Amino acid sequence: MSESILLTDSDETALEPAVRQLDGWAIERVTAGELANAVAARPGVRAVVVASSEPDVLRAVIERAHSGGVPVVVACADDTARRRAVELKAEEWYRCPADANEIAQRIRAAVGRGSPPGISEDRVERVEYEQMLHDSLTGLPTLPVMIERSRSLFKERGELVVLYLNFVRYSKIEEIYGWEKLDAVLETTAAAVREFLDDTAMSTSRLMVSFTNDDDFIFFHVPATGVAAASENEITDMVSRLQRHVAGRIEAQHGEDIAALFDIYVGRAHVYYNPKIRLERLIYRGIREAANAARSIEERERGRRVADLRSSLRDRAVYVDYHPIVVTDTQEIFGYEALARGVMRSLRSPEVMFDVAAEADLVWELSRLCRSRAIEGIETRLQPNELLFLNVDPHDFSDPAFNEDEVKYPERVVIEITERTAIKDYPKFRERLRIFRERGFRFAVDDAGSGYAGLGSIANLEPDFIKLDISLINAIDTNFIKQNLVETMVRFANDHGAMVIAEGVERAEEFKTVKDLGVHLVQGFFLHRPLHLPLPAVVETVRR
Amino acid sequence: MPNAELPPILVVDDNHDNAEIIRQYLQTRGYPITVAHSGDEALALFETVRPAVVLLDVMMPGRDGWEVCRIMKQHPTLGRTTRVIMVTALDEWQDKREALQIGADDYVEKPFDLPTLAATVQRNLAMQRAMAS
Repeated sequence: MSESILLTDSDETALEPAVRQLDGWAIERVTAGELANAVAARPGVRAVVVASSEPDVLRAVIERAHSGGVPVVVACADDTARRRAVELKAEEWYRCPADANEIAQRIRAAVGRGSPPGISEDRVERVEYEQMLHDSLTGLPTLPVMIERSRSLFKERGELVVLYLNFVRYSKIEEIYGWEKLDAVLETTAAAVREFLDDTAMSTSRLMVSFTNDDDFIFFHVPATGVAAASENEITDMVSRLQRHVAGRIEAQHGEDIAALFDIYVGRAHVYYNPKIRLERLIYRGIREAANAARSIEERERGRRVADLRSSLRDRAVYVDYHPIVVTDTQEIFGYEALARGVMRSLRSPEVMFDVAAEADLVWELSRLCRSRAIEGIETRLQPNELLFLNVDPHDFSDPAFNEDEVKYPERVVIEITERTAIKDYPKFRERLRIFRERGFRFAVDDAGSGYAGLGSIANLEPDFIKLDISLINAIDTNFIKQNLVETMVRFANDHGAMVIAEGVERAEEFKTVKDLGVHLVQGFFLHRPLHLPLPAVVETVRR
Repeated sequence: MPNAELPPILVVDDNHDNAEIIRQYLQTRGYPITVAHSGDEALALFETVRPAVVLLDVMMPGRDGWEVCRIMKQHPTLGRTTRVIMVTALDEWQDKREALQIGADDYVEKPFDLPTLAATVQRNLAMQRAMAS
């Protein structure tokens, strides 16, 4: 193959190592004045790097290069040069001085983008393709890319093991915390997966990962020549180590509530090369088989969890953590949200527990248990001036066992109703609320602003508290649209005599922002983690 | 005069007059401005301009501002570092939720006044710098 030539008027020394990073390239230097002519005259020129700050030179070089389909990278000494480069539609630019990596990357990008006249459309497509080839979050290749890459290896070795990693309940994270949180968690996951692969024992063979853009990862394991494919045991072992590794990373970065939410189920399929069948079809079938295997493991696990839940209900094996809600200005404790958790490890997360209950038609029963456990705390664990925020699903209101007399101190209870659950019979529901209200209960709309509905549906419930959806609080310091929405909500609350609670405040910057916006109450890890409140008697003993 | 210290801004508006008004106003304040008159043109320029801030009109024929924003925000390297300001008559809760959904960072209400526009650009540049460091 003939050599690719990089033509340049630049005397930067970083150009040599940069060109060495490009396979089969050589560098050729000419003066700035000769550059435009050299582009046209010299065959084999694949790209030009222009350093001249003369506008006329730059214009001439770009014109000549583009008419010959050669991409141009401009080495810019200052911002004026950069602007000129963009105006003249150079493919790429970099700021001098740049290191070899940067320069090589720019040259590669420029060549990748090509530069026939009428470039515009190609570039748009390229920007679009970019996101289709590699997942922007995880940096992992998408499936079609991975299949192309494994094609020749698979053919050569004759076999391929597909592992399908089904990350269950990632969608739940998105539902509760919003897509930005899930993105962050996926990023952590991908980084943890990559880290794990880097020092896994199976690295003797080729192992590749792709991301399905949903919540699943696909691994291709191509055994090395002369080595048998990993055995069932090896894979089981690898998977459990991977699961621990990923869970550890997620817990360290996003907290245990999120870590407790998810599980990984892995399905496996062995695919053998068959020249009669199209290779990509073989692989897709393998993926489907592995996905089904993962799902059947999940089914089995689900059955086990239902059994766990039944025994938990029988033994009343649910405890309550109390998450402090504080007054924004004084940071004094205003009340606690009761968070019910399963004593059994598999049911630790309240979301998981209620998911399982929904599948097994045990929601009312579980709700009753969680409610009574939480209410016990009013007398035994809370100070007399503190309120208890209790999560109640609108469906619970149709539970005949749930009534306004269940609680001894209704004036100390705030019932949280999520905006997310569709309320079917509004007049009837409001009538029930009225009865509770008359007894002294107060109400909070949970996850307010999570949907497109806006303020109308909130006004309908006449809440005493408005709990903002976590997705509005997450990174609110950097997003001005979120700030605007929260500001609107605070104004609305002030007009209606309600208080706004910001939930999920995890960072100092978020706290400062919601405080500046006038949010009345705050709840989140930044101030307090959920507490397993001791019985006051125990506190006394400890003090003594 | 453009100031060498200020990072590039990409202004996207199919209305040439609007785009020109914004360009002139911001340019006299020293910002290096590149203008695109369609979503496609904006995407074509995106990788070469590498803007710190994009002022993106929502209502454009062809690819509208929502779509352009979504694609920009998914760009593997520039998606993180680019701040996107939607220029629109966003007065509904729903529109703002939509803007959050596609990853926009801020918005300017139309019809905008230029000082507000400049202030919005400024706070986003400040945020972009803070996040980069």
